[in-house]
Amino acid sequence: MKRIAFVLSRLLQTVLVLLLVATMLFLIFRLMPGNPLVAYLDPTFTEDMERQLRAQFGLDKPLHVQYALFLRNAVRGEFGNSFFTREPVNEVIWTVLPNTLLLTLSALLLAYAVGIAGGALLAARRGTWIEHWGIPAVLATRAAPEFWVGMLALAIFSFSLQWFPLGGATSPGSVFASNWTRIFSGDFLQHLALPALTLALYLQGLPTLLMRNSMLEVMDEDFITFARMRGLPERIVVLRHAARNALLPVVTAFALGIGYSIGGNVIIETVFSWPGLGRTLVRAVAAKDYPVAQAAFLMIAAVMIFMNFVADLFYSLLDPRVSYERR
Amino acid sequence: MALLDVERLSVEYQTLQGTVRAVRDVSFSLPPGRALGLVGESGCGKTTLARALIGVLPRNARITEGAVRFEGTDLLRLPADQFNDYRWRRIAMVPQAAMDSLDPVQRVGDQMVETIVLRGNLTRAAAADRARELFAMVGLQPDRLRLYPHELSGGMKQRAVIAMALALRPPLVIADEPVTALDVIVQHQVLQTLRDLREALGVSLLLITHDISVVASLCDDVAVMYAGRIVESGTVRQVFAEPRHPYTMGLRNAFPSLRAEQEHLVPIEGYPPDLAHPPQGCAFTARCPFAIPRCWEEDPVLRAEGDGQEAACHRAHEAPVLRVQAAEAFARLAGDEIRSAPREAC
Amino acid sequence: MSDAERTLTLPTRWSQAASSWRDALGTLAVVARRDRFALVGIIIYVAFFAIALLSPVLAPYNPQELNYLPGGDVAANLPPSLSHPMGTTNLGRDIFSQLLYGSRAALMVGFVAALGVVILGTLVGLVAGYYGGWVDTVLMRLADVAFGVPFLPMAIVLVAFLGPNIWNVVLVMTLLLWRDTGRIIRAQVLSLRERSYIEAARVLGASHTRTMFVHIAPNVLPLSFLYGSLAIGWAILTEASISFLGFGDPNVISWGFMLQDAYNSQALARQAFHWFVPPGVCIMLAVMAGFFISRGYEELLFPRLRRR
Repeated sequence: MKRIAFVLSRLLQTVLVLLLVATMLFLIFRLMPGNPLVAYLDPTFTEDMERQLRAQFGLDKPLHVQYALFLRNAVRGEFGNSFFTREPVNEVIWTVLPNTLLLTLSALLLAYAVGIAGGALLAARRGTWIEHWGIPAVLATRAAPEFWVGMLALAIFSFSLQWFPLGGATSPGSVFASNWTRIFSGDFLQHLALPALTLALYLQGLPTLLMRNSMLEVMDEDFITFARMRGLPERIVVLRHAARNALLPVVTAFALGIGYSIGGNVIIETVFSWPGLGRTLVRAVAAKDYPVAQAAFLMIAAVMIFMNFVADLFYSLLDPRVSYERR
Repeated sequence: MALLDVERLSVEYQTLQGTVRAVRDVSFSLPPGRALGLVGESGCGKTTLARALIGVLPRNARITEGAVRFEGTDLLRLPADQFNDYRWRRIAMVPQAAMDSLDPVQRVGDQMVETIVLRGNLTRAAAADRARELFAMVGLQPDRLRLYPHELSGGMKQRAVIAMALALRPPLVIADEPVTALDVIVQHQVLQTLRDLREALGVSLLLITHDISVVASLCDDVAVMYAGRIVESGTVRQVFAEPRHPYTMGLRNAFPSLRAEQEHLVPIEGYPPDLAHPPQGCAFTARCPFAIPRCWEEDPVLRAEGDGQEAACHRAHEAPVLRVQAAEAFARLAGDEIRSAPREAC
Repeated sequence: MSDAERTLTLPTRWSQAASSWRDALGTLAVVARRDRFALVGIIIYVAFFAIALLSPVLAPYNPQELNYLPGGDVAANLPPSLSHPMGTTNLGRDIFSQLLYGSRAALMVGFVAALGVVILGTLVGLVAGYYGGWVDTVLMRLADVAFGVPFLPMAIVLVAFLGPNIWNVVLVMTLLLWRDTGRIIRAQVLSLRERSYIEAARVLGASHTRTMFVHIAPNVLPLSFLYGSLAIGWAILTEASISFLGFGDPNVISWGFMLQDAYNSQALARQAFHWFVPPGVCIMLAVMAGFFISRGYEELLFPRLRRR
């Protein structure tokens, strides 16, 4: 019962934050210098389209009415039409969303797999040169700008060695039977490889250091000492006992990570011309294609806020199993 | 031949405050089938000693000298993997705060089976049977094997850990404060369990505690430890009925007894010395009501006083006289505060 | 042991409070002494600082100026040579000079933004933690919103609307990045608030403001420094990212701008490593310096029990 109340209160908070962010977005776009209608209307729209959009978004009504309409339309998923392609913004968003999700998920999974192993290694090799130089090396991966690493990767592996394509998600002119065949095609994977690897290199810093910290804390616990007293092989002590306990905060971070990296994908997508949400946002803002920009931003925010909520839930689910406290 | 023969063992810690000499030149023997109680207040080095015997010390600890002979073999001179063969198979330990010694994310039964399979070379099925057997031996229902540690009470966890210690039928079990964290009724039950197990299995026991009543009820022999050294040893009868070291005399007066009526509870005033800078003479001098000038300068050696009893005190030969004066002498040191023990039915 | 050291070595009990802001600032010297890497970080910043100050003297050319070959053509895309140690851009500008001048933008943005983040975050943390109640609730809800906003997208949108001015970039970063610092400082203040020396100060008649700033603040300052040095790194990375995406200040030659310039000029295809490797290395060094210093603080403020 308490669990349900907790979930509901968290859900409410989540919706509240999303609402506030949407409101901020609404205000920013309305407060732009210039014609307030600019957010939805491009001078080249036809009269009919203009009239329709005015009605739908209440563009000549007072602000609070606009706000209500904005919210209603947002919930329905209507953001108008792109200034440039004239397509409904929905379609644009839903086309690019899977690309972003695939890139983010594959990079995160790789980053966490490597990070967990690396963190455990750093913890196990405490006080050795591996740790001493390993940590600065990991910090370096976080300090180097993602796009710079991407540029290096492109210059070396794509332009010079020609192992990977130069950008995009698929080769130009290729046609696929459906979205599913496209995603599992070799062509797509080849295009995904470099951006995902670059993003993964950047992302692994967090799980590595987090896992190391967590392991070091766990290794000091009494049950680890007891495992050694029983004469269990060190391998079992570290893997089966220490690592399993140390994974808890890392798993939580993974859930949070999905949310955060969605926002940061902007950079990787731009460097590799990956057709995802982030790149769509950047191009829309640069080109002043406001409907698309608004929608892309909201989608990114929504995914992020929702994943924070999921991470909260996750932690509360795993937590009661553990009988001692963590910092 | 003694089962366990510790000779001049010393253990040090490296800390930010300097080098702490936690165990200093400790020697004692444990014959097979006997139970030896190691008594002392917190910080006297008992746990460090226990962990040195099983060879699992903290990273900053070092054994600086001595020998630990188990059935004749010096464990400290063995290579790590050979020493590991002895662990749990020949020497097992029930650590302090046993309740924290269980992996929180693994079922208790699985931890038992894991130990038995990996160290005892039994099949999983045989190990599972043995686990049930062990639980029954300590008075736990077999269905509790499926539970996670946090689903068990303190007493149950303690017994589970004791069961684990017996899993490979080791001839020696070291128990570090096995009942301290438990409430009195459960304490009694667990002590009874330990007594029954000793009788049934003939296990030798090294019991470490600060509570002399536990030692009195469970052990055959006792060694009193203070500031890293053994200051008195002998049979329980000898040491508690006729102590020869002022510290032991003080301990007796400080503990309430359920057996005899005790009029006054007298504490031992003061604190143990800082083992980062141990004193030159006897470590107990500052708190001892019978100290003489020699005590400040010369650290007494553990010396036989007849009948197998040993004490490290310059005035050990005067013990019978000092014994009588002890309560009053300690009380005077404590500032004339003589407190009464609560009247209790025997 | 100096007062500054004591502030750092008794963190979990904070039983001896920093008696002054000077002690709190002195912690930087302690960190430098104790942690080799932190010292390296400080040296890196000092070096960049010197370069930034002296760039007009050190740079052989004006970074914006187009250079010409003797024949009259633009000296575009030249490989490294004696006259141009790192070659030239596709518009004939000297890369080495750009690199040197780039340190100015980086340090300016980095330190000013970090200062903003730290001040805002510390203030919010102090006020929220000290007063509690509805003040705390409101401030923490604001923090929740700040956490709920995807950082880079928001920065892009705001900068696009406010204008591609470097100070807008700094402003945006301050507005969004204070949240981590604020949360942590608030937690620390909550635990400090109950200390007896705070109670003593209040009993002796110290006003709320005085208590907050004279008694509590110096003791959370090392924590502020920790996050401040992290913030420098984030700020430099963010500015570089925004410039790379094309929303940066076109009049400022920053390292991020250089990378954008290189990318857009097909430097990758031309394998002009001399152009795009150095700015990235500089960014990496500047950010790492911040990480090292913050780790130095972390090791001392939250010492892992190395020896039991």
